[in-house]
Amino acid sequence: MVRYREYKRGACERNKDLFITAFKTTIPVLLGYIPLGMAFGFLLDGAGYHWIYAFIMSLFVYAGSGQFLAVALLSAGAGLTEFAIATLLLNFRHAFYGLSLLEKFSGVGKVKPYLIFALTDETYALLTTTNVPQGISKSRFYFYIAALDHLYWIAGSVLGAALGSVLDLNLEGMSFVLAALFVVLTIEQYFSSEARFPFIAAIGAGALSLILFSPDNMLLASIVLGTLILIVREKSMQRTQREQKIQETRKTQEMKEKYKGNGEKPENEENIGIFQVKKEIRSINTSIQPVEDKIKEEN
Amino acid sequence: MLDTLQMLVTIAVIALATFTTRALPFLFFGSREPPAVLAVIEKNLPPMILLLLVIYCLKDVQWLTAPYGIPELFTIGVVAGLHLWKRNAMLSIFTGTALYMVLVQFNIFSFL
Repeated sequence: MVRYREYKRGACERNKDLFITAFKTTIPVLLGYIPLGMAFGFLLDGAGYHWIYAFIMSLFVYAGSGQFLAVALLSAGAGLTEFAIATLLLNFRHAFYGLSLLEKFSGVGKVKPYLIFALTDETYALLTTTNVPQGISKSRFYFYIAALDHLYWIAGSVLGAALGSVLDLNLEGMSFVLAALFVVLTIEQYFSSEARFPFIAAIGAGALSLILFSPDNMLLASIVLGTLILIVREKSMQRTQREQKIQETRKTQEMKEKYKGNGEKPENEENIGIFQVKKEIRSINTSIQPVEDKIKEEN
Repeated sequence: MLDTLQMLVTIAVIALATFTTRALPFLFFGSREPPAVLAVIEKNLPPMILLLLVIYCLKDVQWLTAPYGIPELFTIGVVAGLHLWKRNAMLSIFTGTALYMVLVQFNIFSFL
C-alpha cells in the first residue's frame, strides 16, 4: 500500500515535470499568441460583436489567419458558402502538416482528435522539432503543448475583445516573436536532420511565391510548390539509381560471358571477399583459444 | 451585422472547414497504406515548412520602400547568429523580439 502511494506520488511529480517542460517549450508561442489574439479580438470588437464571440471562435475554430479572414468576411457581409470556401482554401496548408505527422500521431490514443483539431502553424512547428523527454508518454506531452497553445490564443483574443479599446499598450512588433521562433526551430531542424535539399526547396519556392502571389495566398502556394519540387527530385533520384543498377548488372553479365568463353573459373571480387571473411574468422578463433584454456584451468 | 443564430451558424461553418483541412490526411490514410513517395515527403516536409514559415513572416514587408525590410532581415540575422553561437532557444528568441520591437517602435532605420 505504501509502495503504491509512493509510486503514485512519483508519477504525479513526473507529470508535473512534464507539464513544466511543455510550458517552457510553449513560452515563445505564449508571447506571440497574446498580441496576435488581442489583435483579432480588437478587430472583432471593432466590427461590433460581443467578446463572447471572440471566445467561441478561438475555442472552436482556433486558426489565426482563418479568424482574421472571418472578421474581414463578416464586415463584407459574405454568405456562408464564401466563408466555407475561403476558409478551406486558406487553411488547406494544414493538410500538408498532417501528411508529415501520420506516423508521429499513430499510437497517441484518445487525444488524437484533439491534436488534429489544434494543429496550428506554431503547434506543428513545436511538435515536429521538439523531442519528447525520455521515458515519458508522448501523447501527454503533445497534448500539453497543443492545449497550452490553444489556451494562450483564447486568452489573447478575449483580452483583446474585452479590453482592446481600454488598454493602450504598445505591442507593435511583439508578434515577430513567432518569426524568431520559426528561425530557431529551422536551425534545430538543420542540426537534427541530414537532409539539406528541403532547405534549398524552401528558399526557391518561398522566394518565388513572395514575388508571384499575394500575401494571403503565398504560404499555401509555396508549400504546394515546395512539395512538388521534393517529389520531382525524389523521382529523378530513384530513376538514376535504377539506371545505375541496370548498368551494374549488365557489366557483371558481360564479365561472366567473357570468362565462359575462356573456360576458366572467374576469380571475381565476391570470391575474394568470402576468402577474406574466412581468414578473419580463423584469426578470431585463434585469439579466443587462450582465453578458453584459461577458463578450463580455473574450473 | 449578423444576429446570434446566424453568427453561431457561421462560426460552426468556419470551424468545420478548418477542422476538415487538418483532418484530411488522417481520414485519407487512416485505413490504407500511404504510397511510398509519401515516406520521403514525410521526412522532408517539416524542415521545408519551417523555413517557409520564416519566409511567410516576411510576406507584408515592403521591399521597395524605406526601410526596405531591413529591420526584419537584420533581426532574423541576429536571431540566427545568436542561435548558431549559443544554441539557447529562449535567449535567441527573446533577444530578437526585443530588438525588433525597439527597431520598429523607435523607427531606428528612419534615416534610410
